Amino acid sequence: MKNRKNLWIIGLLGILLVIVTPLAVFWPRTAQAADDPWAFVPQHPIHTDHSNIVQGPGEEGQFETPQQVTKACLECHEDSADEVMHTTHWTWESQPFDVPWRDEPVTIGKANQINNFCISAQGNQKSCTSCHVGYGWQETEPYDFTASENVDCLVCHAQAGYFKGSYGNPGEGADLLAAARSVASPTRENCGNCHFDGGGGNGVKHGDLDETLKYPTEQLDVHMGGLDFICTDCHTTEAHAVKGRLVVDNYQINPSEQVACTDCHIETPHDDERINSHTLSVACQTCHIPEFAIKDPTKMTWDWSTAGQDIGDDHYTYLKIKGDFVYENDVIPTYTWFNGNLDYRYLLGDKIDPSQPTMINLPAGNIEDSNAKIFPFKVHVAKQPFDTVNNYLLAPITSGTDGYWTNFDWDQAFQLAVPITGLQYSGQYGFTETWMYWPITHMVQPKENALQCDACHSDNGRFDWQALGYPGDPIEWGGRFDNK
Amino acid sequence: MRTRKNLIAKLLISGSLLTLLAASALGIQSASAGEAAGPVEEISPLHPTFALLDENGVNVLESGEPVSTMQTCGQCHDAGFITSHSFHSDLGLSEITAAGETQSGRAWDTGPGFFGKWNPLTYRYLSLAGDERLDLGTPEWLMTYGADIVGGGPAVSNREGRPLSGLAPSRTNPETSLVNETGNLEAWSWSQSGTMEMDCFLCHLPQPNNAARTAAIQAGDFRDASTATLAGSGLVEQTAEGWAWNAEAFGENGELKPEFVTIQDPANENCAQCHEMAHSGSDPLVITEMTWQTATTGQVISSQRISASGMNLADKAAATRSWDVHAERQLNCVDCHFSLNNPVHYTTDPENSPSHLIYDPRRLDFGAYLERPSHNFARGQSAEDTVAPELKGTMRRCESCHDASGHASWLPYLDRHVAVLACETCHIPQLYAPAIQSNDWTVITLDSQANLAYRGIELDDAGVELASTGGAVPPTVTNLVTGYQPVLLQRQNVDGETLLAPYNLVTSFYWVYDDANDNTRPVRLLDLEAAWLENGGYAPEVLSAFDANSDGFLSDSELVLDTPAKQALIADRLQALGLNNVRIAGEVQPYSINHNVTNSDFAVSDCQTCHGKDSRLTQSIQLTDQAPAGVTPQFVKDTNVTISGEIVQDENGGLVYRPVPRNDSVYIFGNSRVNWIDWFGAMAFLGTLVGVGGHGTLRYISSLRKPKREAKVRKVYMYEAYERFWHWLQTFSIVFLLFTGLIIHRPDIFGAFSFRYMVTIHNVLAAILAVNAALSLFWHSVSGEIQQYVPRPRGFFDDAILQARYYIRGIFKHEPHPFQKMRDRKLNPLQQATYFGLLNVLLPLQGITGILMWGVQRWPEISNLFGGLPVLAPIHSLFAWLFGAFIVGHVYLTTTGATPLEGINAMVTGWEEIEEHEEHAGETSGEETQEN
Repeated sequence: MKNRKNLWIIGLLGILLVIVTPLAVFWPRTAQAADDPWAFVPQHPIHTDHSNIVQGPGEEGQFETPQQVTKACLECHEDSADEVMHTTHWTWESQPFDVPWRDEPVTIGKANQINNFCISAQGNQKSCTSCHVGYGWQETEPYDFTASENVDCLVCHAQAGYFKGSYGNPGEGADLLAAARSVASPTRENCGNCHFDGGGGNGVKHGDLDETLKYPTEQLDVHMGGLDFICTDCHTTEAHAVKGRLVVDNYQINPSEQVACTDCHIETPHDDERINSHTLSVACQTCHIPEFAIKDPTKMTWDWSTAGQDIGDDHYTYLKIKGDFVYENDVIPTYTWFNGNLDYRYLLGDKIDPSQPTMINLPAGNIEDSNAKIFPFKVHVAKQPFDTVNNYLLAPITSGTDGYWTNFDWDQAFQLAVPITGLQYSGQYGFTETWMYWPITHMVQPKENALQCDACHSDNGRFDWQALGYPGDPIEWGGRFDNK
Repeated sequence: MRTRKNLIAKLLISGSLLTLLAASALGIQSASAGEAAGPVEEISPLHPTFALLDENGVNVLESGEPVSTMQTCGQCHDAGFITSHSFHSDLGLSEITAAGETQSGRAWDTGPGFFGKWNPLTYRYLSLAGDERLDLGTPEWLMTYGADIVGGGPAVSNREGRPLSGLAPSRTNPETSLVNETGNLEAWSWSQSGTMEMDCFLCHLPQPNNAARTAAIQAGDFRDASTATLAGSGLVEQTAEGWAWNAEAFGENGELKPEFVTIQDPANENCAQCHEMAHSGSDPLVITEMTWQTATTGQVISSQRISASGMNLADKAAATRSWDVHAERQLNCVDCHFSLNNPVHYTTDPENSPSHLIYDPRRLDFGAYLERPSHNFARGQSAEDTVAPELKGTMRRCESCHDASGHASWLPYLDRHVAVLACETCHIPQLYAPAIQSNDWTVITLDSQANLAYRGIELDDAGVELASTGGAVPPTVTNLVTGYQPVLLQRQNVDGETLLAPYNLVTSFYWVYDDANDNTRPVRLLDLEAAWLENGGYAPEVLSAFDANSDGFLSDSELVLDTPAKQALIADRLQALGLNNVRIAGEVQPYSINHNVTNSDFAVSDCQTCHGKDSRLTQSIQLTDQAPAGVTPQFVKDTNVTISGEIVQDENGGLVYRPVPRNDSVYIFGNSRVNWIDWFGAMAFLGTLVGVGGHGTLRYISSLRKPKREAKVRKVYMYEAYERFWHWLQTFSIVFLLFTGLIIHRPDIFGAFSFRYMVTIHNVLAAILAVNAALSLFWHSVSGEIQQYVPRPRGFFDDAILQARYYIRGIFKHEPHPFQKMRDRKLNPLQQATYFGLLNVLLPLQGITGILMWGVQRWPEISNLFGGLPVLAPIHSLFAWLFGAFIVGHVYLTTTGATPLEGINAMVTGWEEIEEHEEHAGETSGEETQEN
């Protein structure tokens, strides 16, 4: 009888099943796919307070040299220096790889290549290495890339009392003990000290990265401002290797090493099918970063050929040591197809055609490339020196006692570089136009500021459709995947 | 809310004048400034160069005469075809009838178009031959409204179709006369002024100069109108002597140089000159001029996000939608309002083509089209535009391009919603610009305007100053623009469908009189001025009667005939002018809202917007803030909307229109209800509750008084497993059906529950209930158990009385049940009767009404046979109440068993302790028993 008495429980379950099953089948569903970007954002664990942990070898626990700090760190974080030394933050140079226009494998990095801002770090280590994650990189002697005590833990982790000076060493007056005791996960400020000021000052290089991001508003950057992201939320880090590769200093980039919007967002996150259909050909950044340099201006052109004149310095237009600049605000990006790689990266010694602008880097991709999307770039245009006999770009020595910034003697600056770069100098120089493409991917705007249709699809739209390879506006002529 | 504003003047005259002044002051600069703001003026990629000809066909460079579009464009295009296929040009001239014979029902209307149909917003009346007093003769009609008239039609022909230029000037013919500044009749010589040809430039140039054109028209220089349109283009300049052609713009062959040929398809800006404000580019949108559709509806054509507007819009930051999603998606006016013989858009009417043919590739080639393009444009079915009715509905509508099936993922009853709601109803939930609310011409401002009020804008309390200075008040950055929600009215579509669609309602009051020839006419502005004003101010008698606060000004709120005395005063003053039988009329004109569509993010998608107490469908709209005493305005008659609501007075003396969906046989779940049914149902339910409560109390008291009789009991296996399963499944279904049904019926009380989910649960449970009932019917039939439910005729009533007497008396005395409950006879006679009714009447009827209600979207014709939702839904509600009442009684009666919980326990376990009656002792009738 016992079984039978409990039969009602089974009956109740049966009844519930009969009710719940059809309800589950007919329950109204929202059409949208699950889209939960937050699921991919790292949690921020509370960082261990190091103020009672770190102790220097000095009498009062102080540190005499920065290397002592590193050693103190390594007592507990044994592998950290080794990890850092495997990153380009340390090596300033890529692994060797092949390019079609060279017979030998090449490397790219600040250590050996040039850009069209300050041109070259080689021989100019005194100031350039203030953004190297190491101590004591001198021009005069080869740097020991195996000396783990020279790894600068503080530049990324110190939250107080620390700043860099010459040759990558701590600046005059840096409080090493306070700095070491303040360590925590890198903040926007840590990353920003170098990345916001690249090219020699606030906002010079990127156009989408500048010091306004230290305390951003939502209208400046929806992630860092509106949602208080820090750099490492997207540039996730494993064994000190930071995800995300700077396109301008690379050639081919493995997508797994790159940060993408789709790391967190789905490919087609819009409610609107028409907008979603754009994502096959248009990068997220194109619509969601309508303009760059939206608060602080960025350098758009740099004419080295006018340097050296005593016509009065002005930070935003002319400096005797650097020449003429143009800074701009609220710049509409240049749009081109981009598949994440470069078609070309200027390598020191590459021949140029001085009558044409030389591309320091050229994004890869075209309308035929289904991996390529229309992507926004800042194009930095410079006039920089080249060897008129050998027809290649020159890497002058600018800093130091005999550098150009001291003597304003180009000839001397080029001669000094010969033993350092190994590149011959004919004694004849001129200036030629160079372009550099900087991808625009930060300062993503709140969605209500995203571009609307007419930004591109109108008589005065911002795209040159034919230059992009379309017969005309795809609204009328069809997209690249349409049969029209 | 209310202001006095010379809208119409702004609309038709002063806006253009101001622009003209600015244009002439700045000269060519104004044109280049315009270029900077608007799209770049591009050389026409296709249009060949051509010569500008005058009306004699001579090159204007040679003759120096004004350009003639008919001659110039007629060199290649069939100008005659174009003008004869253009309701924009015709303006109703070809549909002129005798006064009072139009569908509008106004005694003084002579046609459905702008020429012949009077509009209280523009007020001035085109007088007819035989009218005692001339308001507008044809020349002055053209001067007054010229800014919005493209030319041709009534601007070149009279009512009989004769050329105006051939009419002899006559003071007595309204087609050739006007009232001059001194108030006297004056003959007009059309041959001298020229007439106004259809102005091709106005719509086909990127920057036509409508201001200069309007100025020429207002000056009566009709022949110069087309020439003036070219002002600022570099082709022609206005000099002291007149218009001078610029030889630099012409090549050696006398044709325009290619860079001066900018002919194009009409852009939004061209249409916007007369219709809705159009805006493009990134400059923050500010409404500077209320063109016709914008003024009457608040519609603005722009791709810009509303949040980017330069105006002071309420809750602006949240309005991240564009003003118009079609403009946002780069559609132009002419993409929908295309030329009807444009081969790009042309499709054959399926009704007039062979049924086997889906697509007919035969069509005009482009050459033929360009020679004779129809200028009848595809149009919708607006309430206000009555001209050329045969072309109504020629436009592709929402559903011609859009497939509503995308809603199916979230919108239950999609077919039903689409069958009763126009797409606009949900996709234009809100207008963000102000629109005219009311227009009172029974009064007059110092600048001879009506007392005009807007909805959707909060004007500062500067009404007095505004009134005294007559300042125009387009929304500025200082006014808070709130926008408004349109009212929903039943629209009779051309195809026979009736759909709820959004409208603005504009209410007008005005005086009419009977003239000497017994014709009813609106009182002329001249006479109104004479009645109200003296020496540039209000007549002292008027001022003292109206100036409530004695400040010497008449503010908006003072300017109203809100007492019979005030009405009599003005009426007397009008009668004193010789007007007979003056009286106040009022009318309400619906204005269709079809633009400013938004996509799903901002469209109505919350069920309770409509399915709730404050349903959008019953939402009132303010007609006026103040109204003349005793005048109830009538809806105009020549619309395609049915007016079933009521006009009621609000507490401030204003009038409100309140839709009454019931009058249209519209039943809205969650909003509609039949009060007596809910009251009756609630009473039945509560009555049962009170009844069993009382009965139970008495039982309890009696049990205290007299201990329970010890009856012999035994345990019987009363209910089989399937019976119990069926019963409890039914219980769950019905209880939750009642609960979800109640929420659907009164969502306002149960705000915590999602209406949409409740509807789903209700439907699924109903299906479960139905299947469960069907299976149990089968089981009961096959097992023969069904007989227990069939009352045996013989002795049934006696038995029932016996049972009833037991519940009334015996139960309190702890008498035994009159009928012993047995395995084969579970139901006593009362139960049999109740279940018989429940299972044969209530449950099936509830099921059938429910299925029919569900079926309004699947097979509406069947549901409509039974009266549709307005009949089915209240019956369903009534039965639901009765079910509720039954459950109360049923549950109570289960407590009358051996012990109060024994009945329920039995239905759970199957075993019941029953009292054994002496007379039935030993009868087991197949029972499985368990002796205690």
